[in-house]
Amino acid sequence: MHIIRVLVALFKINIQQELAYRVDTVVNILTSIMWLAWELLGLGIIFSNTNNIAGWRLGDVLALLGVFKIVNAYMQAIAWPNTETFNQGIHEGTLDYTFLLPVSSQFMVSFSRIVIWNVWNILLGIVLIVIGLFSAGNAPPSWINTFTFLVLIVSGALVIYSLWIVLITLTFWFTKFDNNVTLLQALMDTGRYPSVVYPVWLRVIVTFVIPIAVATTVPLQALRGELTWWQIALAILVSIVAVFLSARFWKAGIKRYSGASA
Amino acid sequence: MLNIYKRFWQVNWAEQWQYRANLMMYLAYGLVSPITYLAVWSAIADAQGNVNGLTSANFAAYYLTLLPVDILTTCITIYYLAYKIQDGTLSNELLQPVHPILTNTLVNNLAFKILQTMIFVPIWIALVLLFRPTFTYTWQSLLLSAPAIGMGFFIRFLLESTLTLIAFWTTRVWAIYHFDTAVSMLLNGAFVPLVLLPAWAQTMAHLLPYQLTLSFPILLLLNQLPLEQILLNYGLQVFWLIVLYGLFNFVWRQAIKQFSAVGA
Repeated sequence: MHIIRVLVALFKINIQQELAYRVDTVVNILTSIMWLAWELLGLGIIFSNTNNIAGWRLGDVLALLGVFKIVNAYMQAIAWPNTETFNQGIHEGTLDYTFLLPVSSQFMVSFSRIVIWNVWNILLGIVLIVIGLFSAGNAPPSWINTFTFLVLIVSGALVIYSLWIVLITLTFWFTKFDNNVTLLQALMDTGRYPSVVYPVWLRVIVTFVIPIAVATTVPLQALRGELTWWQIALAILVSIVAVFLSARFWKAGIKRYSGASA
Repeated sequence: MLNIYKRFWQVNWAEQWQYRANLMMYLAYGLVSPITYLAVWSAIADAQGNVNGLTSANFAAYYLTLLPVDILTTCITIYYLAYKIQDGTLSNELLQPVHPILTNTLVNNLAFKILQTMIFVPIWIALVLLFRPTFTYTWQSLLLSAPAIGMGFFIRFLLESTLTLIAFWTTRVWAIYHFDTAVSMLLNGAFVPLVLLPAWAQTMAHLLPYQLTLSFPILLLLNQLPLEQILLNYGLQVFWLIVLYGLFNFVWRQAIKQFSAVGA
């Protein structure tokens, strides 16, 4: 319960910060609408030349873009801003204060900055999923499939989060590793399209090495009722193992921290 | 003047060399969208034989030519300059008796480019082995494309520098930059070879300078342009260089007039 009170306080602080820059929030939302228009135009161009990509129709790809937007909202709202704070903390030694707090250091490093307006991108994602599923002419998903979808979105986000923890922990060894998260974002961006379109070597990377597909293609497959129970169980198991291992890695990493100012 | 450039080169090369690990990350990031688009179009072309006559080997040749041309003609001016304008550190450079953008910023771009190219060559060879494109380069096309790539870079550099100067007036220069990136990615051939765009977008692409920085050099390298197209595009490059240089100078004069040097 302690941790929830901290989280609520963090939310309040971040909302207050954002309210101080209202025009920026509007500009950010307009920019995100512009990129959505770009993506839709891009899909329009692709589908004016074909009616499917590796068996995925326009509606399916739209729904996938929706799932991608939701997972990417985590990157934009939480992962990137906290990376910035973390890197600054390593360089200037302000990370000392985080370790002095009576809260889990991994928690504080992960969630102290939250860019609230990205809730907008989650809404956009949901709208895209709904439109995509209906325009593909599928029957509305059953309750059980919807529930599995939500569970797998969470487990996918946990995998991405664990990868993020591993990447920032590496900074304890390589101080100059400023662009640690760029690589994760780069591979994330492959999630806009179904993983089946990629050549085998890249598909292996995004499915097993850095399992981005677990966070995008897999939840959508669950929503469409294409997964067997053991595939669902495997996806959940992977996320639990990832969270456990990354927390261990973080603990090993902070032992290396000596404080830049000390 | 040559000595000044030499000194700027030494400073900027040393600076970029320090950040080589970051540079590799940028490079990895830049690879993703072309490879994604290549994968998508190859999947479509393989499924239906071709897209508008383009086979998956053609797409591979296009996007694998795009990667080096893109590295050579893009620009990092806004990342380098916008913060300097906003936090006032540009003041120091304004005191020097040389144009800060046409010396320091320009040389910084070149240092970034050359280092990036050095790291990119082995990656490119690996990608060629993985995707097996059928390149149609000839000695003439390689020779002809060199000035096209050079002018393409200067067009991009002047365009982006002019855009970055907006930071003198507003801190929201990044939103404008996003818009510019979106239009440019669609109309310069980065997303898809321009022939696959709808007719209205193709018309727009040829009225704007963006395609001269990417699509033109790529098609030139791949030997896909008839002579009159090559001459027309060279002419357009010269035309846009003159227009953008004039615009850049005009905006620069207005900008420094009202620079108030934050923090000085």
